[in-house]
Amino acid sequence: MSHRVIKSTTVQRRADPHLRTLLVMSGAIAVAMLVAILMILSVGVPVSEALAAFADGAWGSPYAIGASINRSLVFALVGIGFVLANRARLTNVGGEGQIAIGGIAATAMSLYGGCEELPYGLAYIVPILCAALAGGIWGAIPGWLKARLGTNEVISTLLLSFIAVWLLYWCVQSVSLLRQPMTSGGTLPESLTIPDTTQLPLLWSDSGLGIHLGLAITLVLGIVVAVIIQRTRFGFSLRAVGYNPQAARRAGMAITWTMVAALAIAGALGGIAGAIMLQGDQYSLKAGFSSGYGFDGLVVGLLARNSITGVFVAALLFGFMRSGGINMEMVAQVPAALVLVVQAIVILTLAGSAIWLSRKGVKV
Amino acid sequence: MNMELLAIFAGSSIRLAAPLIIASTGELISERAGVLNMSVEGMMLTGAFLGVAGASITGNAEWGLLIGVLGVIPLALLQAFLSVTLRANQIVTGIGINILALGATTLAYREMFGARSNAVIPGLDKWSPPLLRDVPLLGSEVLNQVWLLYLGLLILLLCAVVMRRTALGISLNAVGVSPRAVDQSGLSVTRLRYGAVIFSGMMAAAGGCLLSIGNIHTFTEGMTNGTGYLAIAAIIFGNWKIGRTALACLLFGAASALQFQLPLLGIQVPTALLIMLPYLLALIAVAGLMGRQTAPAALTQPYQR
Repeated sequence: MSHRVIKSTTVQRRADPHLRTLLVMSGAIAVAMLVAILMILSVGVPVSEALAAFADGAWGSPYAIGASINRSLVFALVGIGFVLANRARLTNVGGEGQIAIGGIAATAMSLYGGCEELPYGLAYIVPILCAALAGGIWGAIPGWLKARLGTNEVISTLLLSFIAVWLLYWCVQSVSLLRQPMTSGGTLPESLTIPDTTQLPLLWSDSGLGIHLGLAITLVLGIVVAVIIQRTRFGFSLRAVGYNPQAARRAGMAITWTMVAALAIAGALGGIAGAIMLQGDQYSLKAGFSSGYGFDGLVVGLLARNSITGVFVAALLFGFMRSGGINMEMVAQVPAALVLVVQAIVILTLAGSAIWLSRKGVKV
Repeated sequence: MNMELLAIFAGSSIRLAAPLIIASTGELISERAGVLNMSVEGMMLTGAFLGVAGASITGNAEWGLLIGVLGVIPLALLQAFLSVTLRANQIVTGIGINILALGATTLAYREMFGARSNAVIPGLDKWSPPLLRDVPLLGSEVLNQVWLLYLGLLILLLCAVVMRRTALGISLNAVGVSPRAVDQSGLSVTRLRYGAVIFSGMMAAAGGCLLSIGNIHTFTEGMTNGTGYLAIAAIIFGNWKIGRTALACLLFGAASALQFQLPLLGIQVPTALLIMLPYLLALIAVAGLMGRQTAPAALTQPYQR
């Protein structure tokens, strides 16, 4: 009898974390908002004006809503990959680099890979697939290093990120790589614009939202990964390898393959994010292409606390915040750096309360 | 390559390596104590800004340096509180603090200097060791560096001695390998780790000041631009050993100096390749292709009693 009581209270308390997450989330956002308002005041801009500009940029028009959502797709893809790898207790800090690699691959295929002439939408699908492949290989390297040589994946994915970002810089600086042909001294160090056929088609094209096919791709991939994690043999071996590699090996699981696959899939999703950024709204590759989105995606993955639904929520939050911040700088002359501070407060509050959030029924 | 070019190259390698050497010395102590302080980038940036702000207000670069080094302590305390007391993920808190520092310094800089972004700010003096300063080229080009570098080297030596020869050093090393053993021996894991993080923050800020009031005598938004991450890479390349880390910094400095030097010699190498080189070297090192890497066993692992 008493056993059953204990069991039922544990179950009850375990339902708590959602409430606690909600509590912490709203607390973090409230504090961040307060700080933001104080900072707006200190810059000497009327708060109402700044907030109006923020709202306008984030959700003020169909176009703004579309732009915010398109932006959040990138965060979501990187976040989904992070959650998957995290199942095997692997931390993928390399999203930034995987976006860059995906962007390079997609640009190369769209411009010089002969994709322009392909029929049936293959013109934009093939570059995405190639970006996934390139990102996957880039992600597999740290997986292999970890499994075979015991290299800490946090460090190797971070280093590979920097390497990829400079690789992209190199590609757009060098005419023999992806830089557009130099016609005058003023030719910018960026690639040519990719052909129309390789650009992602818009969904609901007459609504003015400007949301592209990336939304569908991201949703499908999110569902697929959720199913993989919850329902498949591979998802189970991810968790087993994460909890106890030795036991997993004895149970006949391929540790190396699982680790490599986990980080390769995360890398592939990062690569797809890069392709979607390029083919969905940037249309040409420039230095600084990845714009810190990989780190935002990492944070989204962390905040989601292992839930794919959580990834989508956090990604939307970040997408709208980024868009609003950009508009606030343009219209109300409040530096967009303000959004960075707000974002940092949210990240730090959530990171700091992680122990409390994950505490199960028992008091520690 | 003639002697003069060589001397200029050596001098600029040291100049570019100096902030790295100072920041990585602090970071190394923190990592040895088991805290991967990823926010070294943000702390350098904060130090760089506070140094400039302090120097501009007081009209004195040395006061600026002091303000920079002391002003970063609250940020370091935040990092320590999150990663040691609240046992938060050190990578997340590091990235969070980096974002915070980038946002806050950009805002504060625009607020303070917005209209006069080219204001002349007093800078730290240069110094070269006596006796050697009279040697041609060596004295004028190679060793004529901002005095803070020499102070940094002194602190580096001191750290090497403390880590190897004193009870404090042994405790710090132990807390990064087996915090439980340290706790059971009656020492405070929390206090040791807090101390290490604060020290790493102050050194990072000093490195940042060297970038701003030492080298270019001004501040630009996001001016550290990855230097902090490079300091972490240097530690990996140096296999968590203090001397080797400093040598790794010099190597990274030389790689950066090459991008200005090679064009002078008529050699065309993509700049990106040279900037990428330190990260590539660190990756090769961490992959174990240069002998076994031995990171402190409890690095990034919070301790719970």
